[in-house]
Amino acid sequence: MSVAASEGPARVSLRPALVKGWKRNLPWMLPVGTALATLLLWEIVVRVFSVPQVILPPPSAIGAEFVRIMPLLLQHASQTGMESLVALLLAATLGAVIAGVMASIPLARDVLQPNLVALQLIPKIALAPMFIIWLGIDSSSRLAFAVFLSFFPIVIAASAGLAQADETAIRLCRSLTASPLQTFFRVRVPFALPHFFNGLRIASTMAVIGVIVAEFISSRVGLGHYILYASSRMETTGIFAALLMLCIVGLGLFGGVVLIERLVRDRYLR
Amino acid sequence: MQTQAGDTAIRVDNVRKIYDTGREQTEAVSGVSFGVERGEFVAILGPSGCGKSTLLMMCGGLESITTGRIEIDGAAMTKPRASIGVMFQDSSLLPWKSVLDNILFPIRILKRDMASHEERARQLIDMVGLHGFEDKKPHQLSGGMRQRVAICRALVYDPSILLMDEPFSALDAITRDEMGEALLDIWEQYTKTALFVTHSIREAVLLADRVLVMTRRPATIVEDIRVPFSRPRARDVGETAEFNELCGHLRSLIETGHGGRRPGDGPVLQPGRRGS
Repeated sequence: MSVAASEGPARVSLRPALVKGWKRNLPWMLPVGTALATLLLWEIVVRVFSVPQVILPPPSAIGAEFVRIMPLLLQHASQTGMESLVALLLAATLGAVIAGVMASIPLARDVLQPNLVALQLIPKIALAPMFIIWLGIDSSSRLAFAVFLSFFPIVIAASAGLAQADETAIRLCRSLTASPLQTFFRVRVPFALPHFFNGLRIASTMAVIGVIVAEFISSRVGLGHYILYASSRMETTGIFAALLMLCIVGLGLFGGVVLIERLVRDRYLR
Repeated sequence: MQTQAGDTAIRVDNVRKIYDTGREQTEAVSGVSFGVERGEFVAILGPSGCGKSTLLMMCGGLESITTGRIEIDGAAMTKPRASIGVMFQDSSLLPWKSVLDNILFPIRILKRDMASHEERARQLIDMVGLHGFEDKKPHQLSGGMRQRVAICRALVYDPSILLMDEPFSALDAITRDEMGEALLDIWEQYTKTALFVTHSIREAVLLADRVLVMTRRPATIVEDIRVPFSRPRARDVGETAEFNELCGHLRSLIETGHGGRRPGDGPVLQPGRRGS
């Protein structure tokens, strides 16, 4: 009994150190490895079967093109990125306020909730041309459309979160003679925050989609415009380079949300 | 035994609670009267669904009273007060707050001085045996530990009356006994007026000075029994014959559903004198 106990750890202490090093890095090595392998396969397939560049350029060509037209892409990306960011901020504010109102005023919830769910069912992308008709071809129509597209996930997630606050915790607040505002900001909002940020993460991708789709229709700048322009000239490599830039914009926005979530969690939730 | 008006911390007078769902009316509490003296520990014992929790919540101002009157410290109970601490079945700690911050939550809500109460919070933490867990989050604690934190949270702002709604019912039997002892330790030190709702006969007799037995039909108190064991209560009191006899009597009361008496009908029953 005592021998086994003293022998056990001594024998296994060597191998775990090696295995552990592997295992610790596995969570990022696996997905990155998979992505790299896919790119490699893509490259090989395109070269082996001599696929024309206009159909599918190899990743190496896309990378070279990306570097070559970088200044142009950055110019378009800054427009798209800025509009996405502003749209996301507007959507977050609007979504949080509406969710807050619905959580605090039962009548508002009864009036709005079913309609929001019904609106959710509309394929909202199809409404993009309407926004151009209503608001013209400048930035306001693109912003409005991107807000319209991205605000639903926020409002739905935030109001679900606000409604999900622990009922006993709310009773506790009442027993402590807490004011409705105290209960709202000290209990309901913290309980809702993870849900809100889930909604915000989804919305960050929706905002980019909204801006791009609106750019397809109306804009003279932005990555959406560039993709349309490149496709009209059959510059497939340029389209892929723009898509790569678009991914970076989307990742930036998504990363920003994650960063803010961390910050809020550390500062506010104490 | 006769209490003067000034000694009475809680006065419940012919209180009824009717839930009106529109289609039908359910009487959750029908005509309950009792008093709790200052510094007394009273348990309300009854089967689940007998309305005992509703009664407790009415005492805390968390449920409306249909008819009748509840007075606490001489004033009618209409809404919650900071002089009353409530412990719920569920510890309901805020998951993002540490143990210490959870305990200090009432201080934050009541906007009292944080620094001086932090000291008190730390004393309470030591007392319930959670020293070293101050910075842990609720998900890192066991169920019993979480309920210990809830005890500290209910005591940190020094309410004069403590209302407890089956606070240990979600715990396993062993932890439950431990919690009872922890609560006794604290209560014997601070001597709060306590009203404790439970469906455990043992728990009621172990902890309380008086046990009020409540039944489902009618949803009222059928018996008011003084627990004869002295304070501070010996930890092995649960093994004595007297204790078990009293528990047996309470069990038969709950099983038959009524004691045929109402509180105040006659002299308080002494378990030692029972023949049956």
